[in-house]
Amino acid sequence: MRKLVNQTSKRNYFILVIVLIIAFSGIQFIHPEIKNSPATGDFEAPADVKAIIIRACYDCHSNQTNLRWYDKVAPIYWQVAQHVKDGRAGLNFSTWKNLAPADQKAKLWEAVNQISAGAMPVKDYVLVHSSAKVSANDLVVLKKYMADMVVNKPADTAKINALDKQYQHWQKGKVAAGKLPTALNSVTYIPDYKNWQPISTTERFDNGTMRVIFGNDVATKAIKENHINPWPNGTIFAKVAWDQLADKDGEVHTGAFKQIEYMIKDDQKYKTTKGWGFARFKTPKLVPYGTDVMFARECVSCHKPLADEDFVFTQPLKHQ
Amino acid sequence: MKRSIYMLLAGIAILSSACGHKTNSADLINKKASLPPSFQFEALGLKVMSSSINKKRGTMSTLYANELGLKNAIAGLKNHPAGEVFALVTWKQQDDDHWFGAKIPGDLSSVELVKTTAIVNHTVISYKKIEGKDLVANPDTLHQQDRIKYIFEQQPSVMP
Ligand code: HEC
Ligand code: HEC
Repeated sequence: MRKLVNQTSKRNYFILVIVLIIAFSGIQFIHPEIKNSPATGDFEAPADVKAIIIRACYDCHSNQTNLRWYDKVAPIYWQVAQHVKDGRAGLNFSTWKNLAPADQKAKLWEAVNQISAGAMPVKDYVLVHSSAKVSANDLVVLKKYMADMVVNKPADTAKINALDKQYQHWQKGKVAAGKLPTALNSVTYIPDYKNWQPISTTERFDNGTMRVIFGNDVATKAIKENHINPWPNGTIFAKVAWDQLADKDGEVHTGAFKQIEYMIKDDQKYKTTKGWGFARFKTPKLVPYGTDVMFARECVSCHKPLADEDFVFTQPLKHQ
Repeated sequence: MKRSIYMLLAGIAILSSACGHKTNSADLINKKASLPPSFQFEALGLKVMSSSINKKRGTMSTLYANELGLKNAIAGLKNHPAGEVFALVTWKQQDDDHWFGAKIPGDLSSVELVKTTAIVNHTVISYKKIEGKDLVANPDTLHQQDRIKYIFEQQPSVMP
């Protein structure tokens, strides 16, 4: 009797293995293609910098994806293919030179910050591809390369003139009549931010701007009560950015207004963008940023390393 | 075999990365840049007028003004009638640990207050400087006139 049970269970086991093998072989045919088209404008940098980027990032962020045999086995392959697709869409070092110089710089600062925050390269990828790891020393090399690109010089006349022109216009108090500008995700410019408390300021030496970050009354109350992770629904941040206008003594004042950005907390309404309604309005004309409603993806992807801090960079100060 | 163990580990990593842990709220407040409660800054009811940085000294400042001060500054009024209040708050800068490429306020360094008041039939301009994280009064009167002039010269930042 016992022998019989043993035999049937052995047979069942055998059948199961066969089924699994067939299923496993079957899914190998579901194989979304990863195309390696030629690099039309490959990233250029000093050899040590480029070597790190190639080793750690090129599999997902270039047209030179180098898959190992174990990457090609489904279902692992499906995730790899998705990573490559999404990775190339956000950042592709093979078409680097198609970006405007200012955009190249911005992407590079973003890239180094993603590494620094431990968000890139993707963690489970590094576990399998240990050679892609960016060491502390590699990070020093990358940061030094970036820091050396920062230029500190007094503002030129073009910058001064740009401010003067804006200022005269603004001083006259010409407020555009009619409807307030609205971004593609329906977030509207809020003029009242000027009456809110500033919760921090930043000098951005990566792009030569300076910013003041304002919080509405829900935000300041949350700060007072130390309830800022997560921020309560109804919180609104407004971040204003200006050119830096430096004089020869190293004293820097705000130059031309560049843009204002908002983040509005509503964990239901803005569920698809991590609970925040993002919007950016550029120049004093307050032109909404973005060509389609997906523009907020860009905001989310750079704010993402702060997922454990409700996607907020600013560490607010108290005015009490 | 080694590979499949890695793959298994990777799988576990994917699953576990879904549940990160939240940073404590209190740790996210920039305490050293905060104004002491005793100062009661909010009671002054001031708005942001402009922002500046001193790269040589490694400081950054925000200039606040009351409604009248801000209105007159935007209008370019130079005679400073009674009723204006300005506060220049200055911090030592620190690196932003959330963004390589940015500096944010660090230790609170000083608050300079300028007020215009009507006494009998003329306007008096008063200046006060308080310093350090507890904002202790600085009795030095040597540079007062220069500082008043500096604060009055500031052009408001464009805020549409
Ligand atoms: C295993 C694949 C993979 C590797 C390796 C990888 N990334 Fe990514 N990366 C992605 C994916 C997928 C996204 C988009 C989804 C997301 O934000 O998580 C992305 C997004 C980014 C973004 C945001 C792009 C945007 O949309 O604006 C940056 C910056 C970035 N990666 C930098 C890097 C850098 C720098 C490296 C190398 C140190 C690297 N990545 C390595 C897969 C990868
Ligand atoms: C390349 C990275 C990057 C991108 C892209 C980005 N941000 Fe940010 N954002 C930052 C950084 C860094 C800060 C911290 C303040 C500072 O230094 O400017 C910040 C801060 C903010 C703040 C203040 C609250 C906070 O999180 O500190 C708002 C509001 C904001 N961003 C809105 C947006 C919007 C809207 C978009 C998209 C249209 C966007 N951001 C895209 C990097 C980015």
